[in-house]
Amino acid sequence: MRTSRTLRTAVAVAGALGVLSLSACGAADTGKSSAAGGDKTVKLTVPSWVGAQANVAVAKQILEEELGYTVKTQQMGEVLAWDALSKGDIDAILEDWGHPKEEKQYVETKKTVVKGGDLGVTGHIGWFVPKYFADEHPDVTDWKNLNKYAEEFRTAESGDKGELLEGSPDYVTHDDAIISNLKLDLKTKYAGSEAAQITAIKKYAKAEKPFLTYWWTPQWLNAEVEMVEVELPEHEEGCDADPEKVACAYPNTPLQKFLNADFAEEGGEAAEFLKNFNWTTEQQNEVALMIAGEKMAPEAAAEKWVKENEATWKAWLPQK
Amino acid sequence: MNGDTRQTTGAGTAGAGTAGAATEADAKAGTGADAKAGTGAGTRAGTEAAAPVGDDGTGHPEPPVFAVRGLWKVFGPKADRVPASAELTALSPAELRERTGCTAAVRDVGFDVRKGEVFVVMGLSGSGKSTLVRTLTRLIEPTSGSIAIDGEDVLSMDKARLRELRRHRAAMVFQHFGLLPHRTVLDNVAYGLEIQGVGRAERRARAAEVVAKVGLAGLEERRPGQLSGGQQQRVGLARALAVDPEVLLFDEPFSALDPLIRRDMQEEVIRLHREEGRTMVFITHDLNEALRLGDRIALMRDGRIVQLGTPEEIVGSPADDYVRDFVRDVPREQVMTVRTAMRPANGATEAEQGPAVAPGATVSEAIEAVARSGGPVRVVEGGRCLGVVDDAALLAVVAGVPAQEVAA
Amino acid sequence: MSATATTVPKPKPKPKPKPKTAAGEARMRHSGGGPREALRRRRGLLAGGGALAALLVLGAVLLGGGTWPAGLTADISAPLDAANDWVVDNRDSHPLFLYFLLHLSNTATDAVDSVYQVLDALGWLGVVAAAVLVAWRAAGLGRRGLRVALTALGAFAVCGLLGMWDATLLTIALMVVSVAAAALLGTLIGLAAGLSDRVDRALRPVLDTMQVMPAFAYLLPFVLVFGTGTPAALFCTVIYAAPPMARLTALGLRGADPAALEAAVSLGANGRQRLWTARLPLARRQMLLGLNQTIMMALSMVVIAALVGAGGLGEEVYSALATTDVGKAFAAGLPIVLIAVWLDRTTAAAGDAIGTSAPARSWLHGGRAWALVAAAVAAAAAVRTTGWPDAWTYDISAPVNRAQEWITTNLTFTEDWAREFTLWLLNPLRDALLWLPWWSVLLLVAAAARLVGNWLSAVTATAAMAAIGVLGVWTKSLNTLSQVLAALVVTLVLGFLAGVLCARAGRLERWVRPLLDAMQTMPQFVYLIPVVALFGATRTSAIVAAVVYALPAVVRITTQGLRDVDPAAVEASRSLGASSRQQLFGVQLPLARPALQLAVNQGVVLVLAVVVVGGLVGGGALGYDVIKGLSRGEMGLGMTAGIAIVCLGLVLDRVTQRTSRAPR
Repeated sequence: MRTSRTLRTAVAVAGALGVLSLSACGAADTGKSSAAGGDKTVKLTVPSWVGAQANVAVAKQILEEELGYTVKTQQMGEVLAWDALSKGDIDAILEDWGHPKEEKQYVETKKTVVKGGDLGVTGHIGWFVPKYFADEHPDVTDWKNLNKYAEEFRTAESGDKGELLEGSPDYVTHDDAIISNLKLDLKTKYAGSEAAQITAIKKYAKAEKPFLTYWWTPQWLNAEVEMVEVELPEHEEGCDADPEKVACAYPNTPLQKFLNADFAEEGGEAAEFLKNFNWTTEQQNEVALMIAGEKMAPEAAAEKWVKENEATWKAWLPQK
Repeated sequence: MNGDTRQTTGAGTAGAGTAGAATEADAKAGTGADAKAGTGAGTRAGTEAAAPVGDDGTGHPEPPVFAVRGLWKVFGPKADRVPASAELTALSPAELRERTGCTAAVRDVGFDVRKGEVFVVMGLSGSGKSTLVRTLTRLIEPTSGSIAIDGEDVLSMDKARLRELRRHRAAMVFQHFGLLPHRTVLDNVAYGLEIQGVGRAERRARAAEVVAKVGLAGLEERRPGQLSGGQQQRVGLARALAVDPEVLLFDEPFSALDPLIRRDMQEEVIRLHREEGRTMVFITHDLNEALRLGDRIALMRDGRIVQLGTPEEIVGSPADDYVRDFVRDVPREQVMTVRTAMRPANGATEAEQGPAVAPGATVSEAIEAVARSGGPVRVVEGGRCLGVVDDAALLAVVAGVPAQEVAA
Repeated sequence: MSATATTVPKPKPKPKPKPKTAAGEARMRHSGGGPREALRRRRGLLAGGGALAALLVLGAVLLGGGTWPAGLTADISAPLDAANDWVVDNRDSHPLFLYFLLHLSNTATDAVDSVYQVLDALGWLGVVAAAVLVAWRAAGLGRRGLRVALTALGAFAVCGLLGMWDATLLTIALMVVSVAAAALLGTLIGLAAGLSDRVDRALRPVLDTMQVMPAFAYLLPFVLVFGTGTPAALFCTVIYAAPPMARLTALGLRGADPAALEAAVSLGANGRQRLWTARLPLARRQMLLGLNQTIMMALSMVVIAALVGAGGLGEEVYSALATTDVGKAFAAGLPIVLIAVWLDRTTAAAGDAIGTSAPARSWLHGGRAWALVAAAVAAAAAVRTTGWPDAWTYDISAPVNRAQEWITTNLTFTEDWAREFTLWLLNPLRDALLWLPWWSVLLLVAAAARLVGNWLSAVTATAAMAAIGVLGVWTKSLNTLSQVLAALVVTLVLGFLAGVLCARAGRLERWVRPLLDAMQTMPQFVYLIPVVALFGATRTSAIVAAVVYALPAVVRITTQGLRDVDPAAVEASRSLGASSRQQLFGVQLPLARPALQLAVNQGVVLVLAVVVVGGLVGGGALGYDVIKGLSRGEMGLGMTAGIAIVCLGLVLDRVTQRTSRAPR
């Protein structure tokens, strides 16, 4: 068909012209140059969990009210945030639970990201059962007795094994390996998202049913649903080196901050402040509870906390 | 005479057949124009002007508007081989499809369309008539054969020349109108001019004229969707007329319309033809329509022309049983002229006295005259008496009994 | 996977009217079937059956049973992960990025920013005035225009009242740019496919893949290449939303009234003239329908776009999830539904207005009305309002949360249902699929596709199924397949029932319509929590989410199919004294079979489209892998699962789509 040939030619020409005109303007702005510098804008990533939202809300409050910055927040997945941090799309991650692969790639190899020090909060991952169940069966908190109670944790999904409720794919887990290496009569069930996991836990708690879940602290839900950790074989340095052979508990993780390398150098007071930012698990939980439990807006919660804890955050401000 | 007027364009005899058609028409010397059926005496006089001018047998004949020879259109795989092979051309349509998977829509067709005439191609659905009319401007590429317009070979035209032909020389009116629903009536009519590149103001002015001519004045700003079927086809007709083509091609233009509206539209075409004398090729499956409009009719069956002739010839002397069957229910007295029923005058009294009719008058008109006078009626042309018709001869025509038998 | 995945998949246009040209007649005659054809077909089936039996025996002897053999797999994650690393290492230096991709990325950001700034500068009064007046004008003025304009007014007022004004504007800005880009891309593709058969054939699988491949799976590479935030979100949205535009443009070009096209040719139009004066204008209605679908698809990406930092309403929904705040999620999801309704009604009305309009008597038509709209918007903008006034907001999250609480507390039977459903349907189905030897699954697929379609569809389906095995996700895919099948059964049962009811009671349909709209356009993330609260973090929840999403299309197509049944046939059966039941089962349902088949096919496509969402509420299997790939930055894992979903889509499509794929 004549039309189609004409058309194809036209499209090809248009495409070629478009590419040419784009290329003609030369190399594109990679976005890096604007990342640092004196325009007094700080870009932070907001992770999906509430504790980290508390970090960002408080940091934002202080940066804007005390230091005169504009803070832009962006929501994204953790690994995406690492990538964005490396590109300079964001300036800092305030709470990182450990991403060895990314740390190696960006901090050590590419050197586009630098460490920003401890957040002050220690994170811990483990297996938890509800307190009402542990009160009734105190020996459930030892992993050796888990097989005895496996039947209690059974659901339609897990068939003839006990169910171990897992959360979002974001989270680091060796549970499948632990189950098989410790020969436990359990089966993981991936809830798929934190929201689904929390909802499921709340549902069990309301009905006072027994359940076993992968869980962590600090977490705001812990104030609403009391849970007791099941003790797994003690964590030793290197026992989780081979993901296939893990048979021990999760370590305690001092949560880390990471900064974009350029921002760390040229970010001025903001970079200084974010490096100094350091608070305790209790303090973070206080804000997190306001957000999650009382359903306050993060900004309002941060404002309230900042007003009441001046002594704490004064220390984070850059020394003049 | 009856036997001679019949002609068919059978396989392999196309050239001969069409040549025959011309000779035969010459012999009839201009009476063909009067052979229109059903138009009544009043309109007949008018159509006289539109009589073929190129074939009066005296001067040099003008080249026909369309001259078609040995035309084939075969659909299907490797269609080319069919017309070329004597073996394949001899097959019936069913056999051909069985053997080759091909369908021959037009089989070895030849005819001339003379300047100023209304040439009707008639046949039932599937007879190939719509394909035939489309090959004339190569909307469908013919498989083999030749087509000439005013002596110029259509098949060898390049794209530009062909576009030129379509833009200026032949315009078509379609069964399903083919209007553009997003344009107003006026813009639809101006569409052909727009394609030619005529400026907006001029084309709208010219389109407005044509719109008025087809009786749509006042509806210029309507959209096709807001018009009745008959009005839509008037738009289609106006669109074709707007480009002022040398020849109008009609592809079953009225078959989608109600009978009454169809009749109106036929009148419209007759009126236009009378006023402008434009050459028309008219495709229809409706025998009455063909008889009303056609100066000459080509009757198609299975891709072939079974008979080509004036309405009178087709009704009066069908070429074969198929045609005979076809025309059986036609009111013959309205198609046949008195020429068919005429016998030589018996002596001077008969030749010089009594009421007279024109040789082109229909039998039904003659019957009326005979009934009034009570005796035979003279057939007079230019003051000369060609013969007389009496009640017996006229009845014979109506009954379909050959006149010779009556005379004998 | 024909046409339209999400939202309002209107039944495919009926087969074109028979071409009325002689050529058409001839072609029709020569393609007719006849007894020989039937005989050949039967012989083919017999041969197929025989071959199947032979293969079964052979397979049992040679291949044994069980799951896909490990030796026959090929790992594609390694090269994908390598590509991932290459991009990360080179994107700041490689010319491809510096001179091309980064320009695209920056242009995208600038475009969205500037649209947002324009909206912001208009102020709330200006934005509302623009939305209302454009809706009014596009819907062809008159009473219909007034109704659509009121819809627009209501939609925007509610967005403001919910306190979501700014997020709404941000989302609209992203929508404007992505829909414009998707429409442009779709139109170009559609033009190529509409004008050339070869391009059409080549593009069809590409479009299918674009639509069925879960966006989560290709979000990651886009983020790596274009960066987080607007660009990645924009390009993913464009990819996801362009196919309906392309398909419907092609369909419109192909379906244009052949008589009008022939008329254009007969008047000597050249190719360009034919395209601009006839083909494109004739395809306008279809193209507008395509635009409508594109808008709906783009809207369904709003929340997913928030995952990579695009902001807007999606971010509000997403952040509400972290605190399991259903009320807040709902307050952010409702504006998305309302924008969808506003745009759907406006474009639909504009489509209906085409060709019927020209109220020539009124002084208000054509350009004059547009000028009036522009002037009024300018006037409203001149008032210099800013964002929506804070005083005019109302927080609905508390009451919604209370309602949610009440429902989940009081509807306890749902959990038992979920358990029974899992025990009696889901588990047996999954176990049966896994128990079947892998080669017999292939044979089953081949046989089913051959029975429904032709040999080509059998080959395609089998190849797709085999590809799943080769990718090494056989077990997971069969698990997902079992969920998809179960969801499909539930969807079809409910959908056919509701469709029959709606078709028989017109009032019911009008009443149900907004509910269906909401079910289809409400981001699944909003009802994720209530679903889990009712059914637990289980596969049942995943299935419920899929059913909610796929049900509206099935209901609509069924209703429409039953409505379109030749009234003469129904009348004839009534005149013979058929009861209403007899009419339904004897006449209406059999005659509506093509529509019902389309409903099944669309059901498959839509259920598959939310497999990933199922992964978020406990569906596991492929859906979980896709999310995991995205959130852990493992491109190999995510893409493998994504491709497996596409393959499942191919299999199910070929097994459910009877008519339209006859070889040409």
